[in-house]
This record gives sequence, C-alpha cells and structure tokens, in this order.
Amino acid sequence: MEFRGYMIDMIRTELEDVVGVEHVSTKKSETTVYGVDYFWISRMWADRGMEPPRADFVVRPDTTEEVSRLMKVANYYKIPVHTWGGGSGSQGGAMPMAGGILLDMKRMNRLVEIDEFSMTITAETGMILQILENYANEKGYSTMHYPSCITCGTIGGSLAHRGIGVLSSKYGKIDDMCLGMEIVLPNGDIINTLPVPKHAAGPDLNQIFIGSEGTLGIMTKATFKIFKMPEVRSHRAFLFSDFGAGVKAGRDIMQEFKPSIMRLYDEPETRSIIKKVIGVDKKGAFMNITCEGKAEVVAIEERIMKEICARYGAEDLGSEWGEKWYENRLTFFYPGHIMDIPQMYGTMDTVCTYDNVEKIYWAMKKAIENNFEGVRFIAHCSHWYEWGTMIYDRFIMDNPPSDPEAAISLHNRIWNTGVRAAMKNGGVINDHHGIGLKLGRLMKEQYGPAMQVFEALKKGLDPNGIMNPYKLGL
Amino acid sequence: MCRYICPVGLQTGSELNNARAKALLISYAVRGQKFDESFAEAMYQCCLCGACSQDCATGFEPPVFIREARTEAVVNDVVPPNVQNVITSVLDNDNIFGVKAEETSNRLKSLLPDAKEKAEVLIYVGHSALCRAPEIAKAFIALCGKAGIDFTILHDEGQSGAELGDLIGYVEETVDKAKMVVEKINATGAKKVVPLDPNCTRVMRQEYPAWECDLKPEVQTATAFMAELIREGKLRPGKIETGLTTFHDPCKLSRDLDEVNEAREILSAMGIHITEMLLNRKWTKCCGTEILKAHSPNITELTAGGRWDDARRLGIRTMVTACPGCYDVLGEHTPEGMEVKDIFMMLAEACRC
Repeated sequence: MEFRGYMIDMIRTELEDVVGVEHVSTKKSETTVYGVDYFWISRMWADRGMEPPRADFVVRPDTTEEVSRLMKVANYYKIPVHTWGGGSGSQGGAMPMAGGILLDMKRMNRLVEIDEFSMTITAETGMILQILENYANEKGYSTMHYPSCITCGTIGGSLAHRGIGVLSSKYGKIDDMCLGMEIVLPNGDIINTLPVPKHAAGPDLNQIFIGSEGTLGIMTKATFKIFKMPEVRSHRAFLFSDFGAGVKAGRDIMQEFKPSIMRLYDEPETRSIIKKVIGVDKKGAFMNITCEGKAEVVAIEERIMKEICARYGAEDLGSEWGEKWYENRLTFFYPGHIMDIPQMYGTMDTVCTYDNVEKIYWAMKKAIENNFEGVRFIAHCSHWYEWGTMIYDRFIMDNPPSDPEAAISLHNRIWNTGVRAAMKNGGVINDHHGIGLKLGRLMKEQYGPAMQVFEALKKGLDPNGIMNPYKLGL
Repeated sequence: MCRYICPVGLQTGSELNNARAKALLISYAVRGQKFDESFAEAMYQCCLCGACSQDCATGFEPPVFIREARTEAVVNDVVPPNVQNVITSVLDNDNIFGVKAEETSNRLKSLLPDAKEKAEVLIYVGHSALCRAPEIAKAFIALCGKAGIDFTILHDEGQSGAELGDLIGYVEETVDKAKMVVEKINATGAKKVVPLDPNCTRVMRQEYPAWECDLKPEVQTATAFMAELIREGKLRPGKIETGLTTFHDPCKLSRDLDEVNEAREILSAMGIHITEMLLNRKWTKCCGTEILKAHSPNITELTAGGRWDDARRLGIRTMVTACPGCYDVLGEHTPEGMEVKDIFMMLAEACRC
C-alpha cells in the first residue's frame, strides 16, 4: 500500500468513528452526484461526459456534535471541508473543488420547535425548505419563504448564499427572516447567536455568517419568523409601454405599501418567456403584482396600486394573468421553459438603487450584446426594496463552443463583462444567488479595501483555510 | 426538484437518494462511465413509489428509467448481493420472502381448503398478504363469505410480475411469470379478479395489456370491491371506536390506480372520522415497500419512521392502511403508543365476521 492510501484509510477511520461506517462513503456513485450542482459549468461539464470534481470522502453527520468533531478531525489533518445542502445553487458554491470532505447536511433535518406565541420556527439546517413550510402549514402558518428551489434547496443552502423567495417584497429575504442560528466554527466550537436579532450588543452575529457560503463555519440550526396565512392573496397584472415606466411605478408602490410579489419584465422577456409560460401576447413590459393580508387592507392597497400604475400609463390586464403567473411561478424554472444545456446562459442578478436601474440595464445589455456575437440579454425585476430593486439580468447563447474548456473561458469572459458593467454603474455584484465559485474572482473588485474585513474574519476563524476553498473570493 | 417528496431521500439524507442523482448517474453511464455496482446499488435504493413523477412538472418518470437501469444492472452482472438474493428467491419460488413454493401453496390451501375451481370472483391473495400478513387474507375471505359472494382463490398463485418487474424490469422473465398467472386465473372462469395487494392490481391492470397477457376478468381493487359490497347492502358494518385516526394511502393505490375515496368510504361506514396527514391521497408519502425491505431493511426502517413521524406530529394514535405491504412495513416499526390497522381486518370486526 502506498503512503497516500495508508493515510486515506487512517482519516476515513476517524471520520467513521464520528458518524458511523455507513455514513462515510468513497463510492464512485456518491462522489459523482456531489460533483454536479446547478452551476452552468458543472452541468455543461457533466453533459459532455467530463470527469466531475470529486470529494475524497462524502460524510453525512446526524448532529451538531458530530459536525463539531468532524471539524476537529478536518483541522488536524488540514483537509478541505465543503458543505452540501440540496445542490441547487447556481454559483457552484457547494462544488468540492479542493477534494477532501464533503459534508451532506441532509440527515440533520429535524424540526426543533414551533413557538406559536413568539411566532417562530426552529429547525436543523439540512431540512428541505418545503418540509419547513409543511411543518408551519400543519399548524396553520407559513414561513412565507417560497424560492424557486423550495422543493430541493435546504435551509442551510438558503442561508449560505442569502437566498430569497417570491414573496420577498413584503416578507423580506432569508436574512430578514432568520432570527438566530447555531453555528459550528471551523475549530469545532459550537456557538449560538443571540436570542433576538435586534439589539445593541455589537454587530449582528447572524449577518456575519449568513451569506458566508460555508467559508467561515457551518450553520446547524436556525430560527425563522412564521406568519399567519393571509386572509386574501390577490393577484393582478399590468402592461407598461416600456421597462422604465414600470420601474418608476414599482418604486412609487414601494413607498406606499409592500406588495408580496412584484415582477417587471423587459420587452424581450415579455415577448418570449411571459408569452410562452403565461400566454400574454402583447408588446410592452409585463408586470404582475400580488397584495395580501387582511381583506380590507388589501382592498386599499389594490386601489393605490391601480392609481400608481395608471399614472404611468399602464394597461390594467386584470386578475387573470396575475393569477396565472402565480400558478406558474415555478414553471419558469422548469426545463422547456428556462434556458437549459446545451445553451450557455447565466443570471447576473444585480441589485441597485432606483436611480441606477435603467442605467445598469442598458450598460449591461450593450456590453454583452455588443461584445459577444450570438449572445442575447434579457431581464426582469423580481424583488423590490424601498430604495431599489434587483435586476434578474440573463444572457443566453444558443450555440456555445463545443470544446468544454473553450466554453468555460467564454462563459467567464461574458460574466466578467456583464458584472463589471453593472458595478461600474453603481450595481452590486449579486442580489440573492450568491458568489460561489462563479464570482469569487470579482469580490475584490466589488469591495476594494473593504475586502480585508472578510479576509480577517476568514484568517481568524479558519486559519488553516480548510472551509470551502475558492468560494466567495476567500 | 422533487427532493422534498422522496420518502427515501428525506430519511437517509443522501444526495444519492433522489431522482436527480439517479438520472445523473444514468446520464454519466450513457456518456461512457462504467455502470458499476455502486451505480446499481443506487438504483435499488428507491421505492419506485412515483412521488417524484407525481411532482414532476416536466413529465420525467424516474420509476421508468430507474426500473430500466435495474435491467441494465442485471445485464451487466452488477446487482448488489443483497438484491440478488431477493431476485433469486422470486425466480425460484415466486416470492421475495425466501419461502419455498410448496410452503406458499400449503398456506393458500389452509386459507380456503375447499376452494372451488370455478367462481365469479377470484381473490388473488399475493405473497405480501400470504407471507407477512395472512390475517388480512383471512379477514377478506371471511368478508366475502359473509357477503355471500361466489368466490375462490388459487392454491398456486405464481408471481404476478409486480415484484420481479420492479427487481429486474419488464423483461422476458417477468412477462413469462405473469403469463403463467394469467393462465391460472383465466382457468377459474372468474369475471372479476380482486388482488389484495395494490402492486398486483397495478401490474394486472396497467402492464398486462402491454405485456400481451390476455387476462379475461376485470381487475378490481380490494377497497373498491368492499366499498361496493357495503353500498349494495351485502355488508353492514357496525361502528368501531378508535382514537385519533388517519389513513395512509398506499402509493400504488392512490397514485398509480388513482383511487383515494373508496377506503375513506369504508372507514366512514364504520363510523371512523379520519384526520388527514399533510401528504395524503395522490400526494401520499410511501412508507417503504416489501421489496425494499427484503433487500434493504435498514432503509425501510427509516422510511416507515418518516411516515410515523407525519402522524405523530398531529397527535394521531392509529394509522389505517389498505395494503398488506404497508401494513407489514409500518407494523414492524410502530412507535410506542401508536398502532397500525388493516382496513379489511377492521371491516371484518365491524361486520362481526
């Protein structure tokens, strides 16, 4: 036996001591399936039959204590640790690029508590988001977190990249919904954030770890808000003459009240995706808006919404198309409706203040379509804030290079061009998909000298640099 | 997208146990990776319950491609040993439980020693009821007697193809076994065949035509058959007292055979009000299957536990089911203070059989 083989078996034995023999695997089938997530490059790579990046050990912990012990083993041997939830991330954040240990967290999927008085739900982070919602539903409540990955993503995955759901404009992002967490630090220590997220006891620990993409520790339990089911959830659709008029109407609405859903599609998306999925066959910028809550409050909100949309010349399409959009809210992401392999594509997912929305939209569109032949740019605004919105800007190339390495190179160049155009015009690199492997190289450009704060955190918490290497630019 | 509804993946927590992973492995095999024993093992870690298909907006049917991958495993001689033992049992003795064919025949004879050669209705007991829950078969036969039905059973039932088809796919060996069963059933001259196991009902109704098995009688589910007898007044059940009770829809019955009301109708006739679990009717969550239990009991212990958890969260004490496989799998892992009941045994009690 060669020395490497000897050590691998030594390490495996230690891992098995922690979680049990049956929860450590080096089988080819296991390492194969953890080598492909929803990142375009990983899917393209697999589609072309290329060897996926493989972890050396797939490990499935059952408890926080086991995660803690695993971290001590990993640090002793200085083995990389990648955390895996549902594998539904689009940024390659869970990919085991450095080999080593892949921690699949899905055995840790227990409901810890539903507190109906404080209106909170606590669960382990390996739980699939829809299961969390099911548990809340069983008691008559909702988490109001309905991301497109709800049926496959986990709590931990959603927290790791600062995820968002379709109802975000009213209920917030996952970082607004999360009230507290239990975290295992890279050295194996188990810590808890404070019992409430609003306080004056220094910075909010939650917000240091939410979005850290497995680079600073492993979130093992989390507490979220739960909400009463709305008495009314009312959908409506409008058609604006152009994207800019829709942005202005959206901004005005957000100053008056918070609809749960507001989506504004640019003219190309209205003519393509909206026509295909919803069936609206009109020129202009389609916008669907959902108001929800107490019936009498919703009635007032709808009156204000109609007044604002009319002010910007929108055609009121009635409730039918809004309802159809809601029924099909996940259909947009299914094969046949969304871009898919063998196309090359990417969602750049930019967020900015209102004054920069149109500037960024046109700068990105021009940068991508003028520089890359055969690439088109489409966009919509999915999630709205009082101060701005996010632009779900996407590029699509129907005939990418057949050579996989050439395809990666082109993919990266398009991303660089699009994201740099956004940043140059006041946009922020990402709203809710995260950074992962895909955008790590651009983090220093985004943050400038501020990046040293993250680097110091990384150095202090993970001095051996074992936590999810190459992700988040850390 | 169907991770949230996979009964195996939810309990094992393994990425390997979801439809995406299995599709990915097959995709890699098509693109040149060796379909080795670890790939085959992954294909057998599945109930084939169809929850993923039910949820698939794009029309993928994982049970179809997983079953085909199992055929590939057999062809490539990479079937895991624990599964191979079960396949061998079916090929040699027609059942997955390792019970000799002669013994199963004796058990059938003891259920109805004077079974007629010809009758209007044939009760197809199936191996799950025969080998794991004979009390269900006894209750069903007693109910048929009480209702004055002209019925019989076979003393050598053979293998319907339900189990073998799931283990090795819909290949020649499976179809040959099914054709032998068809010959025996047709010989009884029955106008109706009533399998106790929804798995058998499913293959007879949905696969036999494609397999060119010319089954003469109509195939009716056991629950529909009993609900009809109650409607016709041939059975008049009294009230049964239970604590907080739920009904666990067997996946083959609810999803594949599209039948969700008849069992509830029978329960209602016995005065039982049921509290529904969140995943019910066509969205039921499989508790594990006899086939999975035969080769991977460690997994069915988890899947049964998952279903019990669904009931426990609602404070339910009694879980009723209408499938001998579910009854066995749930019964083997019943948590303290809870109980599983078979709908036909309850009905027999309510009818004072």
